[in-house]
Amino acid sequence: MNKQTMIHAAVLLLGVFISAFSQVMLKKAALKTYESKWKEYMNPLVIFAYVLFVGTTFLSIIAYRGIPLSMGPVLESTGYFYVTFFGWTIFHEKINWKKILALFFIVFGIIIYSGILGI
Amino acid sequence: MDSPPLICNGKEGRKDMKWSKLSTLLVLHIMLLIYSLSGICSKLAAAEPVFSFKFCMYYAIVIGLLGVYAIGWQQVIKHLPLTTAFANKAITILWALVWGILFFHEGITVGKIVGIVFVILGVILFACADEVKENE
Repeated sequence: MNKQTMIHAAVLLLGVFISAFSQVMLKKAALKTYESKWKEYMNPLVIFAYVLFVGTTFLSIIAYRGIPLSMGPVLESTGYFYVTFFGWTIFHEKINWKKILALFFIVFGIIIYSGILGI
Repeated sequence: MDSPPLICNGKEGRKDMKWSKLSTLLVLHIMLLIYSLSGICSKLAAAEPVFSFKFCMYYAIVIGLLGVYAIGWQQVIKHLPLTTAFANKAITILWALVWGILFFHEGITVGKIVGIVFVILGVILFACADEVKENE
């Protein structure tokens, strides 16, 4: 993987992180009670989360300038890592050994795909 | 009020249930295919100057496809366990590989295939990690 590809891959990874963060905001908003259905969607937290989400689509387009299409969903799978981390730290969700093994598979798969091991 | 005798009553009921699950899975895979198509448009937009007409057009298609996918996904998870839906989502990795080869003449190596297999296994395992709890 050359330097250009690495920079663009980093842009996509940043987008995936922001996307996961926006999911946390939506989950936080969903846990609140609202006076009306309208306010459930039209409140600063939800609107900002959707703005972030749209922003991440822009980041992915920028990223695709330097990475192959097949690499996109492979890198997007790091979202599972962030979701687990946020779920554990913010929402106190439990982690089991299956999830840890799954995350290991994902990270290992990304490393092999990227050719760092020379395969 | 009695529940409708349509589902789970005898052979016909089981047949209906099986058909209903199959049709939901089919809709899910159509949605995942739509999601993967947004990747093609993102890649096409990436080849254009930022904020040019073509860039904006492809970007609008990306947002449109993601909108259709989001609505479809919400409907599908009403009828399917979330774990099943998420495990099937791994197929988008394969679609991206296929689209990459077909439309952008991307190279394929043993390392890429092995890496993708590991990521798909990881996604499926992650989706199934809470399955026992959910079924309980």
